[in-house]
Amino acid sequence: MNRMENPLAGVKSEKFRQVGKPLIRTDSPTKVYGTAVYAGDLTMPGMLYAAVLHSERASALLRRVDTTRAKELPGVHCVLTAEDLPASQGVMTDMPGQTGGMTKNTKQPILAKDRVRFCGEPIALVAAESVAIAEQAIGLIDVDYQDIDGVYDPFDALAPGAPIVYGDDNVVASYKIRKGDIEKGFAEADVIVENTFTTQYQEQAFLEPEAALAWVDELEVLNIRSSTQVVEHYRAVADAIGLPHNRVRLRAEFVGGGFGGKEVMTIEVWLALLALASRRPVRLVQPRERSFLSHGPRHPFNITHRTGVTRDGKITALQISFTSDAGAYAKLSPYILLYATVGATGPYRVDNLHVDSVSAATNNLPACAFRGFGTMQANLACEGQMEEIAKTLGMDSMEVRRRNFIRTGDANATGQIIRSAVWSDQCATQALAALGKRPENSQTTRIGHGVACYQQSYGRILWMKDSSEAWVGVEMDGTVVVRSAVADIGGGQSSALAQITAEILGVPMKEVVVYFGDGAVTPLAGTSTASRALYMSGNATQMAATRVRENLLGCAGRHFSVEAEELDMNDSQVFVVGDPKRSMTINDCVKLCAAEGVHRHNLAIFKAPTSEGIDPETGQGEVFPDFTYGAHAAQVAVDIETGEVRVLQSIGAHDVGQAINLRAVEGQVEGSALMGQGFALCEELILEQGQLQTRSLSEYLIPTSEDVPKIKAIILESGSGLGPFGSKGIGEPVYAPVAASIANAVTDAIGVHIFELPITPEKIVKALRRKETVG
Amino acid sequence: MLPSFELLEPHSLDEALKMLATSEATPLAGGTNLLPDLRAHGRAGRRFISLAALDQLRGVEHKGNRVIMGGSTTLNDILRDPLMPKAAPSLVSMAKVFAGTMIRNAATIAGNICYGSPSADAIPPLLSVDAEVTLTSAAGERTLPLDSFLLGYKKTAHQPDELLKTVAWTIPAADSANLFYKLGRRRGDAITVVGVAVTVVIESGSCSKARIALGSVAPTVFRAKEAENILIGGPLTAATIDQAALTAAQASRPIDDIRASAEYRRHAVHMLVRRLLTQAWQTSGAKQHD
Amino acid sequence: MTDKKTGMAREKLVNIHVNGTACEITVPAWRTLLEVLRELGHVEVKCGCEKGDCGACAVLLDGEVVDSCLTLAWNADRRSVMTVQGLGGPGKAHPLQTAFIEHGGAQCGYCTPGMILAAKALLDDIPNPSLDDIKRGLSGNLCRCTGYTRIFSAIRAAAQALRQEGGTS
Repeated sequence: MNRMENPLAGVKSEKFRQVGKPLIRTDSPTKVYGTAVYAGDLTMPGMLYAAVLHSERASALLRRVDTTRAKELPGVHCVLTAEDLPASQGVMTDMPGQTGGMTKNTKQPILAKDRVRFCGEPIALVAAESVAIAEQAIGLIDVDYQDIDGVYDPFDALAPGAPIVYGDDNVVASYKIRKGDIEKGFAEADVIVENTFTTQYQEQAFLEPEAALAWVDELEVLNIRSSTQVVEHYRAVADAIGLPHNRVRLRAEFVGGGFGGKEVMTIEVWLALLALASRRPVRLVQPRERSFLSHGPRHPFNITHRTGVTRDGKITALQISFTSDAGAYAKLSPYILLYATVGATGPYRVDNLHVDSVSAATNNLPACAFRGFGTMQANLACEGQMEEIAKTLGMDSMEVRRRNFIRTGDANATGQIIRSAVWSDQCATQALAALGKRPENSQTTRIGHGVACYQQSYGRILWMKDSSEAWVGVEMDGTVVVRSAVADIGGGQSSALAQITAEILGVPMKEVVVYFGDGAVTPLAGTSTASRALYMSGNATQMAATRVRENLLGCAGRHFSVEAEELDMNDSQVFVVGDPKRSMTINDCVKLCAAEGVHRHNLAIFKAPTSEGIDPETGQGEVFPDFTYGAHAAQVAVDIETGEVRVLQSIGAHDVGQAINLRAVEGQVEGSALMGQGFALCEELILEQGQLQTRSLSEYLIPTSEDVPKIKAIILESGSGLGPFGSKGIGEPVYAPVAASIANAVTDAIGVHIFELPITPEKIVKALRRKETVG
Repeated sequence: MLPSFELLEPHSLDEALKMLATSEATPLAGGTNLLPDLRAHGRAGRRFISLAALDQLRGVEHKGNRVIMGGSTTLNDILRDPLMPKAAPSLVSMAKVFAGTMIRNAATIAGNICYGSPSADAIPPLLSVDAEVTLTSAAGERTLPLDSFLLGYKKTAHQPDELLKTVAWTIPAADSANLFYKLGRRRGDAITVVGVAVTVVIESGSCSKARIALGSVAPTVFRAKEAENILIGGPLTAATIDQAALTAAQASRPIDDIRASAEYRRHAVHMLVRRLLTQAWQTSGAKQHD
Repeated sequence: MTDKKTGMAREKLVNIHVNGTACEITVPAWRTLLEVLRELGHVEVKCGCEKGDCGACAVLLDGEVVDSCLTLAWNADRRSVMTVQGLGGPGKAHPLQTAFIEHGGAQCGYCTPGMILAAKALLDDIPNPSLDDIKRGLSGNLCRCTGYTRIFSAIRAAAQALRQEGGTS
């Protein structure tokens, strides 16, 4: 591992005792023994089972929703339609958990009323004695649809006279960036390269479908235990159904995969309504085919780059347009488009830049958050364009990248100065080198190497004024408790807090218990989204643990008659540095604190940097706290007869700032390698006239064990991040370059770029034929 | 969840056949096709006959150069049979890429054949070794070539009162090659886009017998007989092989679906048949030179 | 309960040995082993698709790994089922569990119970599996978090540990 002393981050050069080590995650044993509880595993006495009726039509008027027969079915406790709902008639789908102002206040009906706008829109809810009865009741609801014209392509949706799905003009959001002098930039260019890249819908395909249990307790508090990335949804539930915020308690159980798909509210509000109506506990686990309809997949994007470059590879001007398909409701589309817009230039410095982006509503599935959040689509186009520029100039594409990499101190697309380390070059060089020698081509296979770099933010948009709280305390026996409402979505979110605390308080990690994910009894941490959980909750935990340490060392210092600075903590001992005889156990130290009336715990709040937004005319302003940089390299073998692509090697090299748990970081890199491979090659939600054609995991294909290439993670540590100990967010960043590196490797193998993802065998065969015809 | 149904549980083959003869019931073996179908669009109240207890239907018997495989033999049984790599190499190659481990443990050869899906992976290898199926009912037994058992899209000669008792074939001659390739949209557990099995038998330096069986490119798995005929009676030159492969592609009647277009499937048939025939010619030729 | 018209049993008392404990439950024919195990409290058996696409519900039935969502409860009558909790637990972890913990083979953990049982069946069959054997052995178990890399290394480590165990006993 490499380490850079970065004066900006103020990192101590001292060796960590626990941070950075590949320690066993606190959540590992319970998951491996099968004792970990997920939301769908919960039961309560008297519990009812829910089922949801989703629209079969993409664009229709609801002339009648008749629940008479369903209500008469024995065992059915309640059937709810839009008519039964409170007046607010909507659930807030703007940035979940947001504490700052400037919300877009986009609301989506909880249940469709009068009209359905997409195939899968929820129409009615049932709670019954069993799943079988609930399903039967769903089948007994008569819906009289009257089809109306729909629109299924974002360009059609923006054309004059298109059927209106959203607002007055189907424009869900639009942004622009105007930076430098684009005319001058193009005038200075020796060549202009223009290409259009398209990406498909990608489904999160978490293994655990949406699941939750809701009930009203003895304090008249509505409880929801759910598989969610966002504990703060309790506010949105309360607002949607007209309860005070303090009467809704949401707990996030272990989440069986989120990837953004459990960021916006999924099923929680439905269960809240059913629990209130039936006064019984109600549980819902969405069957897989309905899970596909219950959260938003990744947006399809159409991205055009027109790039002016000098003969030696310097970008002089760049004009970019984005069009994304938002689907029938806004959800997080405005923000995802913003991420794409800010990330339009990838990890490159472009002084003369125009970006125009628009997200259009259609009668397709509403798209939403998915690991990478628009940035990865933008990055894919950037990195494909690098290859095309290099080809046009007859240069090596890494050379073109090196001429243009953004550097610490440069301004990015929105004029924000990059303060942390930018190790794009080191990462790309190491990843490519790790691929090693190219195997020989055979008669029918061509080997290709590809690389892609990226810039991806971590932490929330600055005008959301993000903060996170954490509580750390030492019990009288010297064991340690961390309380944080962080949702543990499988990346080791709670375990990282244990490791940070163990480092600071000098106790073994197994002596630390993290109580997480409870909106009522653990301090609110904000969402497990935006690669922010470690950054925000890690910092809050570090602050709280450090203050507890100060209190403990203060007491011990008075006991040993030394300054606190002369003391250290390790192996559950407090001792005078260099004088091991003068030591006491942490238990004894805690007893001293108790006797002195000194706090053995601390509640800390970490506040992220903030800004007041961007200039709407120029797109200039500070948008994110910081960015992560790195690269991914891939080696592929392409069968030039059948077009089949086999990924042989997949290597991610990333500057993570500082690894907290090395094994967990590597796990993120490895998982993203396979997920990105799926996006590049085989994953695609197919819709026809708004109807989802791929509603199972045998039709929507994620890579299997047989598809796994040799995967490697190279972890670099600049120590320059804003997270605890100089760490950076990595959950999304490590995913950002993968698909692009595979696409570029295919280009390298066959000499033609496939501009439309996924790269199917069929597209390769067609491209090769075109190449032959053209010569 | 599954809709309600009735399940009869016979303890012997005779009892099962009697039940089939007297009640409208569908045989239920591994359930890997039937149960998902039932869950997706099944109506309640159907009746099934469980074949789970009928051990005599499961297992492979090697009798000289004949192989007799019970209908309830699972795909994983095929992989566990030590003689199978010689008895039908293409069948082993197929079983390795058939769905995933748990499905291979449950899915039976009879189920895969009788379901009659165009993408039934077990059928191309069995067609390539000229397998015969024996059907049994309370009225008696009949044996017919697998080739004539397949009638159309999910349509076979299987009668409601019959069970597929065995699949049998003669081990390909020594100077032969028997190969299979499955093209899917991912490597593991994929529905087949194009499945190809070929057999080439060589006698005195010329091709004396050829089989080309194609999956997922027509309403049913089928043999490209016109293409096979092109190969007979001479050495397999690159030109002959390409002509046969092209003929096989032309004989295909694929559809466009979410996995691939008809046009691509035809192209892939051309490429894969050409490749497998070339490999088969080379390996069987090499055997002859040994 | 017997259907008067057909004389057929509509429900049946099935006796399933789950992790060594005899469990009796009366169920109709269409209930799956997955549903029944979860009703019996074995919620460590996860449900991901109910149609054999994901492997989250995999259990060992008389030692063979099956998708419990495609196994009728009636077919498990008088047979033994092992779930991941039956394989081992705190203080008595199976080498596969130890290896999964040490190698970081679980992230979100939802595929883990099925994955470990598929691995168990694989090692019972092939004590010294190649990487290709492992890949084939897990081909019915989807994992969306890990990229399988650590799962593979955990299985190799467990295989080695089991071989050593076998060698000394």
